[in-house]
Amino acid sequence: MTQTITPTPGGTPDTTLPSPALQNDAPPANRWYSGRSTGQLLAMSGLALLVLFALLGPLLWTEHAVQDLSRFLEPPSLADPLGRDHLGRSVVARLAHATRLSLLLAVLGVVTALAAGTLAGIVAAWRGGWVDASLNAMSEALIALPAILVVLLFSAMANGELWTLYAGLALAQWVEYFRMVRARSSLVLAGPAVEAAGLLKLGRAHILRRHLWPELRPLLATMATFGIGSSILALSTLGFVGIGIRPPTPELGLMITEAFPYYNEAPWMSLAPVLVLTTTLIGLLGLRNKESRA
Amino acid sequence: MNQLVRHESFLVPAALVLRQRVIQAVAVALFVSAACFAIVQSLPGDIAFRIAAGRYGYDQVTAASAEAVRADLGLDRPAWLQLLDWLASLARFDLGTSLVTGGNVAGELALHLSGSLQLAAAALVLAFLAGTAAGTLAAFRPGGTLDRALTFWVSAARALPPFLLGLVLILVFSVHLGVLPATGHGESTNIVLPALTLATGLSGLFARVSRDAVIRIRQSDYVRFAATKGLGGRLIFIRHVLRNTGVTLVPYIGVQAIILIEGVVVIESLFAWPGLGHALVHAIFWRDVPMIQATALALALLVVLLNTATDLAVLAIDPRPRTSQAAS
Amino acid sequence: MSMHLQHLIVSHSGQTLVNVSELQLEPGRPLTIVGESGSGKSLLAHAIMGTLPGSLTARGSLTADGTTYDLADPSNRRRLWGRVMSLLPQEPMLALDPTMRAQEQVAEGAATFGTDPGSARGRARGMLAALGLGGAARSFPHTLSGGMAQRVAFAAATIADAPMLIADEPSKGLDEAARADLAELLKRHLHGGGILLTITHDLDLARELGGDVLVMKEAEIIEQGPARRVLETPAHPYTRRLIAAEPAHWAHSWMRRPAGDETKPALITAEGLTKAFDGKTLFADLSLTVRAGERVAISGPSGCGKTTLGNVLLRLARPGSGQVHHAETLGGGRLQKLYQDPALSFPASVPLRDSFGDVIRRHQVPPSRLDELMDALRLAPALLTRQPGQVSGGELQRLAIIRTMLLEPALVFADEPTSRLDLITQEETIRCLMDQVGRQDCALLLVTHDKTLAGAVADRQLALTPEEAPRGTVTPREAVTAIA
Repeated sequence: MTQTITPTPGGTPDTTLPSPALQNDAPPANRWYSGRSTGQLLAMSGLALLVLFALLGPLLWTEHAVQDLSRFLEPPSLADPLGRDHLGRSVVARLAHATRLSLLLAVLGVVTALAAGTLAGIVAAWRGGWVDASLNAMSEALIALPAILVVLLFSAMANGELWTLYAGLALAQWVEYFRMVRARSSLVLAGPAVEAAGLLKLGRAHILRRHLWPELRPLLATMATFGIGSSILALSTLGFVGIGIRPPTPELGLMITEAFPYYNEAPWMSLAPVLVLTTTLIGLLGLRNKESRA
Repeated sequence: MNQLVRHESFLVPAALVLRQRVIQAVAVALFVSAACFAIVQSLPGDIAFRIAAGRYGYDQVTAASAEAVRADLGLDRPAWLQLLDWLASLARFDLGTSLVTGGNVAGELALHLSGSLQLAAAALVLAFLAGTAAGTLAAFRPGGTLDRALTFWVSAARALPPFLLGLVLILVFSVHLGVLPATGHGESTNIVLPALTLATGLSGLFARVSRDAVIRIRQSDYVRFAATKGLGGRLIFIRHVLRNTGVTLVPYIGVQAIILIEGVVVIESLFAWPGLGHALVHAIFWRDVPMIQATALALALLVVLLNTATDLAVLAIDPRPRTSQAAS
Repeated sequence: MSMHLQHLIVSHSGQTLVNVSELQLEPGRPLTIVGESGSGKSLLAHAIMGTLPGSLTARGSLTADGTTYDLADPSNRRRLWGRVMSLLPQEPMLALDPTMRAQEQVAEGAATFGTDPGSARGRARGMLAALGLGGAARSFPHTLSGGMAQRVAFAAATIADAPMLIADEPSKGLDEAARADLAELLKRHLHGGGILLTITHDLDLARELGGDVLVMKEAEIIEQGPARRVLETPAHPYTRRLIAAEPAHWAHSWMRRPAGDETKPALITAEGLTKAFDGKTLFADLSLTVRAGERVAISGPSGCGKTTLGNVLLRLARPGSGQVHHAETLGGGRLQKLYQDPALSFPASVPLRDSFGDVIRRHQVPPSRLDELMDALRLAPALLTRQPGQVSGGELQRLAIIRTMLLEPALVFADEPTSRLDLITQEETIRCLMDQVGRQDCALLLVTHDKTLAGAVADRQLALTPEEAPRGTVTPREAVTAIA
């Protein structure tokens, strides 16, 4: 009836907060490309190129750690399309490995967070009681923690091994999925459609498949694309400030920091990782439809 | 009489908000503290050697001094006992001494806190003013030039990582134009670039939310009714549109708290701005665990504090009952 | 003063939505436009006011007080708003600013508000007191009831003394008592020498207001004249159809039934039911038995707890105290429910074919049964390819009836199944429901705010009265249907 305001978007479960990013009214598509805008198609092809680079690049340019100080800041050539860095290492090889690492960690982290958060959210909404109360209490603490803080803390564990970054990313993010899924599922489960399904004795599988999943799927897809973007951003930020993935392992943020002092002599060295990073982020943003963009 | 009613409708939910937020703060503190304990436990090599090295310098570390540290900190006991000890000292507000400088962590924290607060407040005010002004203006002509420029701005602010934005600003204003200092502290112009970088990222959401809110409110039944009552455009804007936009916007300050604090961590490191984020990154680099714990705690509690403040502000300005409780 | 409307045409990309050649409005004599949704009656009001949505274009002219206005230009009437013409909005609750106190929203409409806000506030306080809202002057809208919000909106719309008041569907969402108050309010405006144009689908409101009535269908006025004549001896076939669709005028074969058979087995037995909500007792110590094949209606004004009682009887909600016993024959999905908004009772983003497919598979219903029922309820099979939101309310409610009937239920609980439908659609929907209920000899529990509908459908009625909750009075069917 009345338009209501939720005063605590960061803290309590809110379902009334107008959040355009969580609305996805894409018309049902028969082909994967039908009903998509040019922007979305462009974003898809950009991301596809990037994934291809991440998959094939490390096979084409294997020597990412070989130093050759005599080739200090060598300009781009046919063999080394992005030249050599200040230690004479192949920039394109380092970039390919860095892209693969970032994408892999981000996707793994998001998939884990999504699976765990969705499962926990549905269970909490369905079971209620102490299961709901304890899961919700846990999410209350995590929702107030900036993701980068969690990842930072985890990166300090076990001497910066890769699994700590993955665990940090997953732990920082599952709570968003949990809260969204729990709030939405509670609404759906309390609604007349599920009540009717109960009277029609259609069973739990029907409720999951016809009521919950269609409602959650578009939101989860939007959140996951956003989550992959922010994970990659968090990883590169950590690399940029010099913590997180340890050198000499190539990482996008780390490469930007290392290249910055040579910005005037070898601009391509800085621009290449920046380009990969922005293509990823813009591509992921561009995947969404018009209403949910911006 | 009326005053009484108003107090009743404010104080009870306010007490509920405070209770919920205090519980949240305690939970956050527990999590951060436990994570820091896990860092200590997971560090390779002998932690006592590390700490001794931190205290006395690497040249001075001997087996004896490491042994002294071990006995001193009770590092030879079972892990769970150590964790209890660890949490107990936090409960006494004993943050310990820095492993790097040997100084009292609490004292250093105060300095970093004031630096971060200055930066965060400057960025928040700047972002709120610029964002809402631009959003409100754009809402008067949806699809117009300003609106389209704003849409681009919002997307760009989101697609550009904060540290890249900072780098671009340094290149433009500091390296090429030479009008603003890139790093440092003390000069009044030092804050301009970091605050501007931080505010740019935040302004996008404020702009978008205020734009959407103004458009929605201008099409609302009550604004249309106000018009047919005979109110002029200016009066409608002041009495109905601004008021309701404000009510919509305030909660978003709480939403932005997390983004603000994340930005603080990154931007402070980039601009070498002496604050909590800068200190945290340094502490993590040196594995200075007491310092990690103190700065991470302060940053996380700032988020809770900012959310509490917006909760209370919303309760004070929005007369409608809170729906989140009814929904949960 | 009087108002004269000439040659009004409202269109949207070539399609004519309103076509009215002439309309004369006189002080003291109400004019009421009735018609079903989509007939263009609301657009007519907005065309006069100058508040049509931007995508619609209007042509024609309006003469008020000797000045003629071109209706193609919506802005030329802006300066008349509040002072000469005013609009009583459709849903007063949404038309009040949620963040502003009632008195302030009334006062700001006064002509003197800009120069002397103090006297405007005094005037607003006086008006609200005269409407019996003295205590609510400093309340925020969310604390008001629908009827109270309506009176605040009335005060706000009339404080600047506009002689012409346009009321757009003012009785939407109001129960009988609140509607009577509303009619009083509108008459009060007339007695002060005002002009009143009311747009409504509610024939009872038109009767209460009197004056002239104008019937619209598909953009045109098909009949007009004094209210008594048009509503009692209608000339146009459509008006006759419309009036015959009022439950009070129904004459269906299923309405003539002997009273309930006491020997049939009880399906639901409820004893000592009590339920309170928000500190208010909805019902207390209520006992009820529903027997096989019986038709029982629960009626009462909005907020009296009738839906809650229905849900308690179905064991979808728990009573505060008391017991509900279900016969074993109700197991296995033989207890079904129809909802007020059928769109919410189907999974929202799933094509209807899949929703029905799940029921058919789960209960091994022969698929031909669905086709039979679709045919019997005159629904095109193509509807099944759509999603619930893409089907009209009347058709979707009939699909919901089919869904319940697939399981051959022993009892159907229909919760306000037609309160969102137009009169003619309501009659068609109820007829379909009663046909099926009769064919399967299934019991019916109907919840409705409409006593006449309850009387037409049920063997016996349970009337819930608010506040004096313990009294649930059971009236025999004859007493109620005597009105019809």
